[in-house]
Amino acid sequence: MINRSQAPSPSGNLDFKLPEIKVLKTINNFDVYFVKKEKLPIVFTNVTCDAGSKFDPIDKKGLAYLTSLVIDEGAGEFNALQLSDEFDKLGSIFSTYIGHDSNDFTLLSLKENFDYSFYLLSKVLTEPHLEQKDFDREKNKLINRILQLKDDASFVASSVFEKIVFKDTFYELPEIGLISTVSNINLDDVIKFYNENIFSNHYKIFVVGNIEEDFLLTTIEKYLSKINPLQPKEISFTKNEKVNAKFYVVDKKESAQSEIIIGHTAKPRNTDDYYPTKVMNAILGGQFSSRINLNLRENKGYTYGASSSFSYYKHSGLFAVHTAVNIENTADAIKEIFNELKGIQTNVKQEEVDFAKSYLIKEFPSKFETYSQVEKIIEQLIFHSLPLDEIKVYQAKIHNVKLDEVLLAANNNIQLDKLSIVVVGDLEKIIPQIKNQFNIEPAILDNEGNKI
Amino acid sequence: MSKNSLFDFSYLKYKLNNGLDVILYQDKNLPTVAVNIWYRVGSANETKGKTGFAHLFEHMMFQGSKHIPKEGHFRYVQEAGGTLNGSTSHDRTNYYESLPSNYLELALWLESDRMGFLLPALTQEKLDNQKEVVMNERRQRYENQPYGLSWEILFSNLYSEDHPYHWPTIGWMKDIEKFELEDVKNFFQKYYAPNNASLVIGGNFEIEEAKELVQKYFNEIPSGEEINPIISPEQKLNKSKVITHEDNVQLSRIYLAWHTVKIFEEDDRAIDLLSEILSGGKNSRLNKLLVFDKQIAQDVTAFQYSGKLGGSFIIISTAKPNVNIEDLKNEIFSEIERFVVEGITDEEFLKTKNQIKSSFIYSLQKLNNVVDYLNYYNFHVNEPNYFQSDLNRLEKVTKEDVINVAKKYLTKNFIQLNIIPKK
Repeated sequence: MINRSQAPSPSGNLDFKLPEIKVLKTINNFDVYFVKKEKLPIVFTNVTCDAGSKFDPIDKKGLAYLTSLVIDEGAGEFNALQLSDEFDKLGSIFSTYIGHDSNDFTLLSLKENFDYSFYLLSKVLTEPHLEQKDFDREKNKLINRILQLKDDASFVASSVFEKIVFKDTFYELPEIGLISTVSNINLDDVIKFYNENIFSNHYKIFVVGNIEEDFLLTTIEKYLSKINPLQPKEISFTKNEKVNAKFYVVDKKESAQSEIIIGHTAKPRNTDDYYPTKVMNAILGGQFSSRINLNLRENKGYTYGASSSFSYYKHSGLFAVHTAVNIENTADAIKEIFNELKGIQTNVKQEEVDFAKSYLIKEFPSKFETYSQVEKIIEQLIFHSLPLDEIKVYQAKIHNVKLDEVLLAANNNIQLDKLSIVVVGDLEKIIPQIKNQFNIEPAILDNEGNKI
Repeated sequence: MSKNSLFDFSYLKYKLNNGLDVILYQDKNLPTVAVNIWYRVGSANETKGKTGFAHLFEHMMFQGSKHIPKEGHFRYVQEAGGTLNGSTSHDRTNYYESLPSNYLELALWLESDRMGFLLPALTQEKLDNQKEVVMNERRQRYENQPYGLSWEILFSNLYSEDHPYHWPTIGWMKDIEKFELEDVKNFFQKYYAPNNASLVIGGNFEIEEAKELVQKYFNEIPSGEEINPIISPEQKLNKSKVITHEDNVQLSRIYLAWHTVKIFEEDDRAIDLLSEILSGGKNSRLNKLLVFDKQIAQDVTAFQYSGKLGGSFIIISTAKPNVNIEDLKNEIFSEIERFVVEGITDEEFLKTKNQIKSSFIYSLQKLNNVVDYLNYYNFHVNEPNYFQSDLNRLEKVTKEDVINVAKKYLTKNFIQLNIIPKK
């Protein structure tokens, strides 16, 4: 029998090379960030621009989203179905993504098909048809999609939560819009949005692929050099300081579970204590072996999983604890989450800090596995105006985080008196529990976050 | 082990004395090593009244073993910067972790401990806790999801009660509530033995070192009893059946399901192609008709779902508001008839094959996928390096083959499930 009582030590050190990021410029001044990755004959491309839903008129929320649905319904010499067929014939995958801040046009293609795939993408950017019949079809689809989301407890909880914490800011409503706001949108709005926000935008182009730098630049210039980019629009963000932090319940009749989100807005990504906050959150709820998950799942059995996160829009961060629990345990689960939030502010052990740091430092190389993962990392640096060298110092910065900084980060970034609590589930079962446990009468909202 | 082509994943395969299959696939260009174990047990091995056992077991395997504390598997792997998980299907249960390449020994220590020494650490308390977790998983992923119960309603009607695909892999709630510690122990002793498993190591490691470590950690685990293959009754629907289920949804959805062939059987690939032609991409047959032209559906998807003991072809489409589900059904059937009569164009056929092929290449980006494929091919065709052959199966399919499988299978009796909004 061998001795199994000790965990084996690692053998030697890890040989890991960070990707080399090349910053290129096209003749018409687009920034191109390129990483040559050889492994497979694949190229991943993302042409991104500042044209997210924060530019939507408030009564037409969903405009950026709808524009992204109509924009590839025919472009250049191709109608909607032909364009889709052209991509499909190459086995290329073209997608659009709308966030609050930006609009991504992504392309996954085989190396041998990159040139023609990029040509097709350029047609979408520069010569979309934006026709009435395509608009009508996509608008109808979008409205039905929003209708369907009414039954998605996780989506309802997130969007109601963001409506509360981002009240009166351009992050208040979901990117996809509401049925009432999407109904207000007509084709002219889409055309106007395209002309003002997409066509002449200052694209940033991110490419990770098994191609040569010269070929890449030639290809981009061949198809996109006609555009004279304007400087991106400035838009200012004012944080709402008067968020009404309290209990909110959205009724979902006969639900088997309660969907719970607890949190508040947070500082943007580019802050001094980003790294201590990251380590702190890894201990609190950022991974499986974190306090919140071990307590609610492995100790109490209330849930299949519970987590906390700091996520970052361009102008604001967001702190949220998210879980779905057996409906009978709703108030108990919220109480446990409160306890964990208090706990991390007063008591953190050195071994927890060491564990979290080890986890974050050693998992770092695995974040560069797929072509799109590499792209996302670089894009996020640029998005948050961080230096590209940040990836070189990432591990060292995590390594340098001290216990007292973790405690400080917990106290500075989690504000117990500013927590908004959103619960989506069967009202009749939830309200008595909350009254009983917290002696509070929760406000009742509809699934768009309006008071009933 | 040099690579001759993109799809060549040369490997070394051998068996330990206790029956454990070992497959080593080396790629020294990666910073990681992946360990992937398939146990040849899934929900199909369960019996009536004890459904959900295989999946519960997947949870119990993360509850610690003789030398590893509760949640220790997660802690050790995460501390080393790795990721880990497991999954359960009808036919098999897999466990996998991916770590920085200098941590291979840790992964083997962890996996061998729960293969050989799980029972000494198994307690009633752990079982009770994970029963709660699994019940919440069932609530979260099925009961509280729009259309979340459709799969189990469909399968329990498509497969006869004595066929092991009749019940869902997560199990019926009333069965999960009743799990007993003794049953868990028996299940482990029978199925979680080295002779019922295959271990793949992939990525950056030294072959000789890996062989020694596998020997060190796994060789002393005794084999279990021989496991007889599952005998499942042939499936045939004597008549078509319509089931209607009310759910908390806004839009009605139709599910159509036919019996087809088992995985890797003769027509399996042709049916895959059929599904792509019907619903893969904007200009696929059903999407063009229902979503694009007539605009009576919000979405449509068709796919072949096949396992070791049975296969089915499934079409799912969500109706727009105020669209009668029978009208949607009639349109689907008339499109299939049209397709059988008119045939497939060359361009359509080439497009479909290219889509499948490039998606396959894209999936090779992740080492976890590659090692899982090696186990998957080893499990089904006893040849881990079957990537190229699998593509050859695709290449060999002719347009006539696709028409023929549509005629052969989609004209048979079927199950129709309508999920409609609660009044």
